[in-house]
Amino acid sequence: MSQRITIDPVTRIEGHLKIEIEVENGKVKDAWSSGTMARGFEALLQGRDPRDAPFVTSRFCGVCYSVHQYCSCRALDEAFGATVPWGGTLLRNLAMGAMYIYDHILHFYQLSALDYIDIMAIAKYDGKDPALQAVKEKVVALVQAGDTSPFTPRYQPDDWCVRDPETVTTAVKHYIDALQINAKARNMGAIFGGRTPHYQSLVVGGCTQYPDINMVAKYRTMLDEIAAFVRDVYIPDVLHFGTGPLWPLAEMGLGGGHHRYLSYGSFEKDPAGTNLVFKPGVVRKLNLGGYEVESLDAGKITESVEHAWYRAAAPQHPYDGEQVFDLDRSGAYSFIKAPRYDGQAYEVGPLARTIVAQHPKLLELVQQGARPGVVARHAARALETQAMVDACYHWLDLLTREMTRSDFRIHDTAHWDPPESGQGAGFFEAPRGALGHWIRIENGEIANYQAVVPSTWNASPRDEKGVRGQYEEALIGAPIPDPENPINAVRIIRSFDPCLACAIHLIDPQTNQLRRFVVE
Amino acid sequence: MIETGKRRESAEQIAERNGIPRRDFLKICGAVAATFGLAQSTVVEQVARALSPGGAKPPVIWLEGQDCAGCTVSFAGSLNPPATQILLDRISLRYHETVMAAAGHQAEKAYHDTVKQGGYVLVVEGSVPGADDRFCMVGGRPFREILEEAAASAAAIIAVGACATYGGIPAATPSLGLGLDRALAGKTVINLPTCPVHVEHLVGTVLYFLTTAQVPALDDYGRPVAYYRTLIHDNCNRRGAYENGQFLTDWNDPAQKEWCLLEKGCKGPFTYSDCPIRKWNDGINYCIDCGAGCMGCSEPDFYDGMSPLFE
Ligand code: SF4
Ligand code: SF4
Repeated sequence: MSQRITIDPVTRIEGHLKIEIEVENGKVKDAWSSGTMARGFEALLQGRDPRDAPFVTSRFCGVCYSVHQYCSCRALDEAFGATVPWGGTLLRNLAMGAMYIYDHILHFYQLSALDYIDIMAIAKYDGKDPALQAVKEKVVALVQAGDTSPFTPRYQPDDWCVRDPETVTTAVKHYIDALQINAKARNMGAIFGGRTPHYQSLVVGGCTQYPDINMVAKYRTMLDEIAAFVRDVYIPDVLHFGTGPLWPLAEMGLGGGHHRYLSYGSFEKDPAGTNLVFKPGVVRKLNLGGYEVESLDAGKITESVEHAWYRAAAPQHPYDGEQVFDLDRSGAYSFIKAPRYDGQAYEVGPLARTIVAQHPKLLELVQQGARPGVVARHAARALETQAMVDACYHWLDLLTREMTRSDFRIHDTAHWDPPESGQGAGFFEAPRGALGHWIRIENGEIANYQAVVPSTWNASPRDEKGVRGQYEEALIGAPIPDPENPINAVRIIRSFDPCLACAIHLIDPQTNQLRRFVVE
Repeated sequence: MIETGKRRESAEQIAERNGIPRRDFLKICGAVAATFGLAQSTVVEQVARALSPGGAKPPVIWLEGQDCAGCTVSFAGSLNPPATQILLDRISLRYHETVMAAAGHQAEKAYHDTVKQGGYVLVVEGSVPGADDRFCMVGGRPFREILEEAAASAAAIIAVGACATYGGIPAATPSLGLGLDRALAGKTVINLPTCPVHVEHLVGTVLYFLTTAQVPALDDYGRPVAYYRTLIHDNCNRRGAYENGQFLTDWNDPAQKEWCLLEKGCKGPFTYSDCPIRKWNDGINYCIDCGAGCMGCSEPDFYDGMSPLFE
C-alpha cells in the first residue's frame, strides 16, 4: 500500500517549497517538487534603465545575496561594451568570495545540522570542557523552562542521527559559533561591497568602492579569523560526520538523483581568465572508476513548461520561449520551469562543480566507497569553501600589487551610460550552482531580461517527457520507515541548499514579444 | 505551591487551568526529567511556569511572504547582542520558516498553537501579492489569509524591510506586492523599512518593546522616529563637497573619492534614515561611503518612485 505525504512548507531553506512523496514499503516511490511563490522581477525590469538591473535582481535572494547582482553586471558589461578593469574584477570577487564563505557555512550549521543530530543528547554530556558545559547548561535551561523553540518541534531523530553527547554538544556549540563567524564574513564582504545583505557597490563596468590599504588590511584580518574557523572547525566537522556516523548514508548514496552534473565555471584568478576557481564542464555519465568531462555548449539548454503554471508551449531555448502565466493550467504543479541540457535533467551546485573539477579529495572519498548524494554534497561545499578562502587571499595579494600601479582602475567610466541598443549574457557559478542572466536593450531601456537560476535546474518539475527534476529523482528510493517522520526526505532536499525565491520568475503577458538571444 | 497573582495553586492546577490534564502534565514532567536525568520533583515547577502565559519568554512568529530572506539574514548578523542570545535567551521563536527545526505539519502546528495562545510579537518579512493570492501560498493557504489571522491576536506587529512595509520592489511587479500599510490597513504596524532591514533598527525595536511593552514613537509612515528622523543628506559626510559643488563623475579618480554622489543618482536629499550615522555591518561601510550613493530604500515610494536609481 502506498501513502502520499506532503511536506509544506519545507523549512530551513530560502523560499517557499512544497514536496510531495509517495511512500511504498518504507521507500519513496515517487516525488513532486513545487515552488509556491512568485513575484515577477523580469517583468518589472522591462522599460527600466538597465543600470537598475543588478540592484533589483540582487533581491531575487537575500541569502545568496548579490550573486544576481554580479551575474547581472556581467550581462550588462557585455551589453554596454564595458571592459571591467582588473582592479574592478578583484573588488567584485573579494566581495563575492566573502558571501560564498558565509553562505556555505550557514548551510551546513544553520540549515542542515539539525537533521543529523539528536539535540537532546546534550543533556547527557558529562565531559569537562567548560565551553561545552556552558552549551549544555543553556539547552538544559531551555528544556526546563519548557520552551525549546526553534529547536522543537522537529522530526524524531532516526537511526542515522548522531547521539554521542560530546559530538552533539560540540556541534551545537559550533552552530552558535558559526552564526558569529557568518556575521563577520558578511561584514568582511561589506568592506568592498558597501553593505550586506545586498551589496551596493557592484555596477556595470566594475565597482564603485575605491580601495585603500586600510581596507585591505581590515579584510585580511577578518579573513584570518574566518579561515581559521573553516580550517579548524567547519572542514573537520564535515569530515568527522561524513566519514564517521554518516558514512552509511554516504555509502548508500542517499539522494543521488540523475548523476548528471553541469557547471558554467567562474571566478578568475588572473586577468586573462584562464585560471578559474571553478572549472566549467558537463558530466553526462558518472562512472566512478573514471569519467569524462565534456565542454559546455549553452546552446543546448531548453526549458519545458509542461508542468509549470505557464501557457502551454514546446520546450525551447529559454530566450526563444514565451512565458505567459497560466495559474489554472491543468497538470501544472509549480512556478518553476524545467531546464534541460541536451534534453536531460542535470544537477548544478557544489557537488556538480566538484565532480566536474575532479577534485582529488572527493575522488579519494569515492575510492573509499562514498557515492554521490547527500553526504557528498556537504563534503563538496566544505572543499569549495577552502578553495574560496585560498582565492580571497590570492585576490588580496593581487589587489595590493594592483593598487600601487599609477594606472590603477576600478571602473570603465567610458561605458557608464546605457547604449541605444545591445544585448549581453552573464554566466556565473552561484553557491547553489550555474546561473545565467540575459539582457536585451532597446532605446536605451531594458527590452527583455531573463534569468535561469541554479534552483530552477535542481528544483524543476517533470518535463514534457515526464522526466523528473533532480530533487524529485534524488528522493526516489529514499528510506522512509515512518511516514509520520520523513526525515530522510528533508535531508535530501536540504542537501541541495534550495533557494526558491530566485527559481521563480515570470513575464508580463502584455509584453510577450519574440525573445531571441545569442548564447555563447 | 507557586504564587500566581493573588491565588496560590499547585503546579498541576496551573497546568489544568491552561488546558493540560493532570495526567498529561505529569507525563510531560516525567519525560523532561528522564531526558535530562533530573528528579521529577525538580522540574514540575518550571514546566508549570513555562506552560503558564507570562511566565515564559515572549513568543515571536516571523512570517515570510513575497520575500528574499534578506531581512532574516540581516537579523542573524546581530553581533551586540549576538543573534543567538536574542534567540535563546530573550524570545521564543515559535515559527520562522528559514530558522526552525520543524517542517511541514509540525511547523504548521507550532504556528497554530501560538496563534491560539495569542499575545505574541508578529514580525513580517516580504509583501502580500495584491494581484492574485496564488502568487504566494504557504502550507496550501494564501499568505494573505495567514497574515490576517496572525495579525488578529498579535501583541505587536513589526514589518521588516521595504517589501513588508510599503511593497518595495514586488510592488512594481505583475504580482502587485502590497506592504502591510495596505494589506493590514488600519492596524498599528511598526515599520522598519530599508532593503533589507537594518539589524540594529530591528533588534533595538524588539528590545524596546520587550522592555517597555510599548510601541515606540512613530512618524507619519509608521517608522520609529528614533531611527528615521533625519534626512540622509543632512548627516552625510559628503555634504561639504555638495556645498562646494564637487560632484563625483569618475570612480577611478582618488581625488574624487569623497565627492558628492548627486550626479550618480544619490537619493539622500529626500530619504530619511540614520544610515550616515549608524552605517551598516557593524559600522564598516554603507551605501554612500562605498561610492554607490543612496537608493532611497527607507522611503514609502521605493522602488518605483526611486527608479532610475543612477539618474
Ligand atoms: S552624497 Fe547624497 S546625501 Fe551625501 S551630500 Fe551628496 S546628495 Fe547629499
Ligand atoms: S543609505 Fe539609502 S539606500 Fe542605503 S540603506 Fe540607507 S536608505 Fe537605503
